[in-house]
Amino acid sequence: MKTVILATAIRILIPLFIIFSVYTLFRGHNHPGGGFIGGLIGSIAFVFHTMTHGPQQTVNTFLKLNLYGYPRQPNQSRSLYLMRMMRVNVWRRRRMARHPEVKQRMLRIEPVYIIATGLFLATTSGVLGLLSGQPYMHAYWSDFYIPVLGKPGTPILFDLGVYLLVIGVVLKITFVMSEE
Amino acid sequence: MNHLLIMLPILIPLYGAILSLFCWRSVRVQLYIGILTQVCLLVASFLLLFDVNESGIRTTQIGSWPAPYGITLVADLFSAMIVITSAITGMAVYLFSIKGLDKARQTFGYYPVLLVLQLGVSGACLTGDLFNLFVWFEVLLMCCFVLIALGGTKPQLEGAIKYVTINILATSFLLAGIGIVYGTMGSLNMAELALLVRMPVAHPALINMAGMFFLIAFGIKAAIFPLFFWLPAAYHTPPIAISAFIAGIITKVGMYAFIRLFTLIFVTDQELTIPLFTVLAGFTMVIGVLGAASQNDFRKILSFHIVSQIGYMLMGLALFTPLALAGSIYFIIHNILVKTNLFLISGVVAHRHGTFALKKLGGLYLQQPILSVLFFISAFSLAGIPPFSGFWGKFMLAKAGFEIGSFTIVLVSLAVSLMTIFSMTKIWNEVFWKKKPEQEPLLDVVPQQKLRDNRQLYLPVGIMTVFILLIGLYAEPVVAMAQLAAEQLLNSKLYINAVLKR
Repeated sequence: MKTVILATAIRILIPLFIIFSVYTLFRGHNHPGGGFIGGLIGSIAFVFHTMTHGPQQTVNTFLKLNLYGYPRQPNQSRSLYLMRMMRVNVWRRRRMARHPEVKQRMLRIEPVYIIATGLFLATTSGVLGLLSGQPYMHAYWSDFYIPVLGKPGTPILFDLGVYLLVIGVVLKITFVMSEE
Repeated sequence: MNHLLIMLPILIPLYGAILSLFCWRSVRVQLYIGILTQVCLLVASFLLLFDVNESGIRTTQIGSWPAPYGITLVADLFSAMIVITSAITGMAVYLFSIKGLDKARQTFGYYPVLLVLQLGVSGACLTGDLFNLFVWFEVLLMCCFVLIALGGTKPQLEGAIKYVTINILATSFLLAGIGIVYGTMGSLNMAELALLVRMPVAHPALINMAGMFFLIAFGIKAAIFPLFFWLPAAYHTPPIAISAFIAGIITKVGMYAFIRLFTLIFVTDQELTIPLFTVLAGFTMVIGVLGAASQNDFRKILSFHIVSQIGYMLMGLALFTPLALAGSIYFIIHNILVKTNLFLISGVVAHRHGTFALKKLGGLYLQQPILSVLFFISAFSLAGIPPFSGFWGKFMLAKAGFEIGSFTIVLVSLAVSLMTIFSMTKIWNEVFWKKKPEQEPLLDVVPQQKLRDNRQLYLPVGIMTVFILLIGLYAEPVVAMAQLAAEQLLNSKLYINAVLKR
């Protein structure tokens, strides 16, 4: 489904979807919202991108990270080398990548790993209470208050885990379905 | 420590599954994670059992929400015993699947799904909340569906469709029953429900109706008489490492929930339930064993025997005395171990000879004498020959039946035992004893590597046989524990007080 209108619109809508999904995620403890709904809203962005551009393009845009690097020169100090590497990977990426001695390494995030991270976060948020002798999933809250997001505490970790889990599952389903 | 011990049988498989997902690409790493998880799970289950045995029913409230509102996890002796048995079984099946399952299936997420299945078993046994129980059964259903369909051969998909269709029906009955209970009682905490049904209620008929919904739901899950047809249709299709675990555990978890609910909550109208259960138990035993007698396939005979053995467990519930329930509990544990072991042995045979059909097999006593002895022990445990474990379960059930004078069901159960011996003897004669039928000599040549793999498959079978012998020859502590567990089940004040902290 390659329509120019949708393809152009989705470029503007993707950040909106993601910001709104994160907002839904954080307000979820006392208001309607939470990890599950936030995850679904967030995954709409990726689903639309896949519908317009195809799964390969979605992976290239969102789930792949190119890292650049080159071996350390003999007379170069370690800190200078790290500085250079950071500069190569953070700004002036395109220009540096054209240098012949710079090697490219690709980091690809599979949906399975997003699912696993989400499960891990959600499970571990409950273990914190268990380790201090309280029942599983006992909530710990901080004293301060962040505007818009609210009070941070361990349940937000659980919601974050669910958020990642839902996004991972939807991405996996979308990729498999659109490849067929 | 209290909270940690109850959570561990749930958390350990979950973390194992998560780590396996992280190592999705490498089957070897998943395998090591799996073995580590199984060992930890076994240790944790032992600790839980000792703890519960020493200090009575243990509870924890998830998220510190107090009892009728939050989700309660309860570990009493019955649930702790099922958890440890499933841990032992999981260990054996895991060891079996290293060599006994093909590489393609292993790479497509066999290990994480198996761990999630074990998580579901622990969760279903430990939960003290009806809706939570439903969720755990959903976890079991999903995992079983994935495992039965894993690999996607045609018979597997057929079995998976049958399995899922009928089990979704069961789950919707369960959900409807839960809805009725919540509508009439206003609570889903099992301890509070047990308290509420014992008070004078406005609509006793509605509770009975909900009970019947649960009867149908768990009747399908546990494969009780009119509702068992899906089981022999589905259990013989997947590879043996999968069907051994599912066949060994899942119906018994259904039976566990059945016994739990009908001793704790739906006990108000026993003039209806007890004759009904007696009839169902009798028919389940007889039909299962007759079905087995007509089969000519190693695995199909075993599948039908699952149905027949479920009848014995239901018989304990139908007699409803402490001794009968103890017999039922002992029988569930014995049956999980023995049935899984028989399935694993059929897997070893099929790995070596490439078939489950009794006609094509033969002469195994000559080729694999150790395996024959292991089969002999398991088969005669299943049939209930005295020194082995099946005898004690049947003995307790029969004695309880004679004590309260329900002779018919006892006689039926004894007759079914004889039929079980007949089926086991049939397998013994056909697979181990008779001469191997003539076939192309080139087909008999088995490569060295396969023989070596086949020898490694003896290890899980050996482990299971050790446990079977242990609970058979040294039955005293297990029987005593089963009797304690039955007393806990019948004296529901203990359960209610432990959960509601009164």
